[in-house]
Amino acid sequence: MTTTPAPARAALAAVIPYAIELVGVTKRYSTVTALSDISLEIEPAEFVVLLGPSGCGKSTLLKIIAGLEDSTGGEVYINGKLANYLRPKERDVAMVFQNYALYPHMTVETNLGFPLKMRGGKKDVVAREVASVAALLELTDQLKRYPEQLSGGQRQRVALGRAIIRDPVAFLMDEPLSNLDALLRVQMRSELLKLHRRVGKTTIYVTHDQVEAMTMADRIVVLKGGVIQQVGSTHEVYSRPANTFVATFVGSPQMNLFAGRVEGTVGERRFSGAVSLPLDSNWPSLPSDTSVTLGVRPEDIELLPPDTTDAATGTVELVEDVGAEDYVSVAINGQTCIVRTSSHQAAEEGETVGLRFPPDSLHLFDADRMRIERS
Amino acid sequence: MFHSMGPGRWSPAERATAYVLLIALSLVLIVPFYFVVATSLRNSTALFEYPPKLIPDPLYFGNFERLLFHSEFPHWMLNTLFVATTVAALKVFIDSLAGYAFAKIDFRGRNGLFILMIAMLMVPFGAILIPLYKIARDLGITNTYLALILPPLANPLGIFLMRQFIVGLPKDLENAARLDGVSEFGIYWRIILPLVKPGLVVLAVIVFTEQYVSFLWPLVSVSDKSLTVMTVGVAGMRSFGGTNYGLWSAAAVMALVPITLLFFPLQRQFLARSISGALKQ
Amino acid sequence: MYLDDEGGLGVRWPVAEFGMVKLSQYVRARDTRQLTSQQHASLRHRYVLRRNLTGWAFILPAVIPFTLFLLIPAMMVFWWSTQEGSITGATRFVGLDNWAYVVSRSEVMTSVLNTVKFALMSVPLIVAAGLGVALLLQRVGRAGAVFRFAVYFPVLVPGVVAGLMWIFMTHPDFGLLSLASRFVGLTPPVWLGPGTALVLLAFVDVWRSVGYWAVFLLAGLMGLPRELYEAADLDGANAVRRFRYITLPQLRPILLFVVVVSTIWALQIFDTVWLMTRGGPGTSTVTMVFYVYMEALQRGEVGPAAAISVMLLAGILVLTAIQMRLLRGPKVS
Repeated sequence: MTTTPAPARAALAAVIPYAIELVGVTKRYSTVTALSDISLEIEPAEFVVLLGPSGCGKSTLLKIIAGLEDSTGGEVYINGKLANYLRPKERDVAMVFQNYALYPHMTVETNLGFPLKMRGGKKDVVAREVASVAALLELTDQLKRYPEQLSGGQRQRVALGRAIIRDPVAFLMDEPLSNLDALLRVQMRSELLKLHRRVGKTTIYVTHDQVEAMTMADRIVVLKGGVIQQVGSTHEVYSRPANTFVATFVGSPQMNLFAGRVEGTVGERRFSGAVSLPLDSNWPSLPSDTSVTLGVRPEDIELLPPDTTDAATGTVELVEDVGAEDYVSVAINGQTCIVRTSSHQAAEEGETVGLRFPPDSLHLFDADRMRIERS
Repeated sequence: MFHSMGPGRWSPAERATAYVLLIALSLVLIVPFYFVVATSLRNSTALFEYPPKLIPDPLYFGNFERLLFHSEFPHWMLNTLFVATTVAALKVFIDSLAGYAFAKIDFRGRNGLFILMIAMLMVPFGAILIPLYKIARDLGITNTYLALILPPLANPLGIFLMRQFIVGLPKDLENAARLDGVSEFGIYWRIILPLVKPGLVVLAVIVFTEQYVSFLWPLVSVSDKSLTVMTVGVAGMRSFGGTNYGLWSAAAVMALVPITLLFFPLQRQFLARSISGALKQ
Repeated sequence: MYLDDEGGLGVRWPVAEFGMVKLSQYVRARDTRQLTSQQHASLRHRYVLRRNLTGWAFILPAVIPFTLFLLIPAMMVFWWSTQEGSITGATRFVGLDNWAYVVSRSEVMTSVLNTVKFALMSVPLIVAAGLGVALLLQRVGRAGAVFRFAVYFPVLVPGVVAGLMWIFMTHPDFGLLSLASRFVGLTPPVWLGPGTALVLLAFVDVWRSVGYWAVFLLAGLMGLPRELYEAADLDGANAVRRFRYITLPQLRPILLFVVVVSTIWALQIFDTVWLMTRGGPGTSTVTMVFYVYMEALQRGEVGPAAAISVMLLAGILVLTAIQMRLLRGPKVS
């Protein structure tokens, strides 16, 4: 590998603000549109997570960035250069696959050194790089082994190492942790994060697991049906979801949604549905003739004795004890809502309880399921 | 003990009958070989003895001596082995190349061409003998080794076989290779080929055997004595050699030696695997 | 990437492989498409073209022989059937005259008749015997490795060598069959006589082919689901019943395949004919491919031979089509 002299790099950085930029990327098959008009700017060293349910197009988008699939429209810029018509190896990105895609007939050492060898690296240079990456990922003892002799976690690290050794503009990771068991997954998650802090490389990470997304991302891109639902930091996506899909997809257990309408005159607005709640003046503009959806996160609802003032009443249907918390399903006026309480309160099934919905924790979505802003 | 591979229980009587039938059948199938070997070891007078001795006594090796040292047979055999090996090697290479392209590269006309090749599988060789001969003549390759080597490369079966093997390889493997900077040919050569070795072996054996037993085309396409292959040579012995039964039988025996040597180590794998593979359910 | 002295990670950056960096290249307005759709089209065209060329480069070494030695000949047979003349020299167009000639000329139709007779004799035997052997092999289990080898061995024998072997076997003076019939007190029949030659050829073909299909059907039998048999056992079915009501229906598609493919091979029989009888005595063993060989390459008359080739081709195509149709037909549940 050769190096860019620092002054050139600085000059480049001044004019190329984004490591990867997508402009209107579309992917259409004969009957189905997998991606619609995806536009995104990804900053250098950023850890961006593409989050969404299966089939939402996130893996396809990743492959389009890598050049493994063609887009039907739009442009992809990598390091400022148009990449649409560059072959994958010319795009200077590295990918970590869900199934690792290690070469079964090569040793770990050969696997790791392969990308450098292909670019004409000299034997001693390659050996040195392989040694340092192996040290970084704690694979030094496995170098002479074959992929089938390694554990899942080790294979994953080899896949990672193969990407790291290329020193690309960006890492593209396609659900790399989903083939690991739960415990290993949590462990690898933090390893990946630590690695990212050290190496500081732009990363685009695809997952359907919102916990993974929230813990790792600098920014999250929520996708559904090939359309970007929201782009924002973990906090933004969590506390200011752009629509009901994002609201229910992020956060576990799901946000409670109530259908209803806004009633009353200006100054004395109320939401009425299964629950009836006043809407304070922080809601600047509310639609009055159409239906709206109210959302409250389970952790924001307060569980109180049934006769508390300003509290709605409901019956407990189910209590799920998850150790540190209880998830209490409460039936309220025909609808169910879930409440998270940390104390092992005496909420028993069949009991009548009171629920209070703090005004600051309310989310409202209009008839198109889009977020209604509050000040 | 449950010996049978088949379902259901068989009575001892039924099983005994099965063994008897199989032994009888095997005898019918194998006895001609024994007979030919025995004939090849008899001299001409001993041949017409009646009643004949089951095991030739004395053992006469003159037929083999004549065949191997005073006839063209070794030359024919060399020709056959040369052609069969060359065709097998070439076909393995070009069929795996094409198989890879059909399996993993999306190029224009791929599907149409594939269907065309499937259709041509059904064309019987006997039906295209005439135009094939004419083409070989026009190309000027008749009476050369090329006539023996090139036309057999046309059979699309090998392409299907290789494609089948290659399609099974995970797509992410080539994707990873593409990102790693490997050229398409490099992916074929470094990644795909090592992983389909069993398929290559199967194809090589099939092609080799096909060429080994090939008769009609060598008969028609080359007339030069030096290009005679084993099958044509042995068959020709009957036309020109009078009635030298001893020599012919020795030729028949020697003709079978290479193919037996090839098949014997493979047969355990080949026969046993196809059966036990199906057993694993 | 390297580990520096303090154990930290140092990073080197890739060069701008694009050569001299023209900064103006990278200054662009945001949120606008930089390229027109025409530019996109032409760039994409080049990119896709490159991929197509790669694909074609890979298949070319196989496609060239395929076209030259299979595709073109297959198409040219039809043209040849309208010609009259020699294969080495000039030919002239005679159109459908060849076909009229073919139908009227007795030797030609004899070859068709002989071929069909041959197939009718050998194929049913091959399939029945193959199935029988497969069933027997299935019963004897692993110990049957010897039998499997013995049964399959004749398959490896080249046709001309098989022909030679059976000439020995049927030789009136020292042949094993002749000796055996003499032993039993009968006069040995003329094995290669006018009525019997074709039968002998069929027998040799059966001898050569049984093993191949026996192994094939054995694999097929092994693949049948066991539960059906277990149920039948509980119902108290004996071996014959089991075969008739369970095995046979399940095997139907495989058996169909076997019948069609062995018929296709039988129709093309040549090697043993050439070696054992040369079409004789008389024309009683002239088969279609043998006729093509004699007529076009020995006697130098291309026309009728090409017509026969077409008939052969057509016959086999029809057979294959029938097979595909029947295979896609109603399935036995």
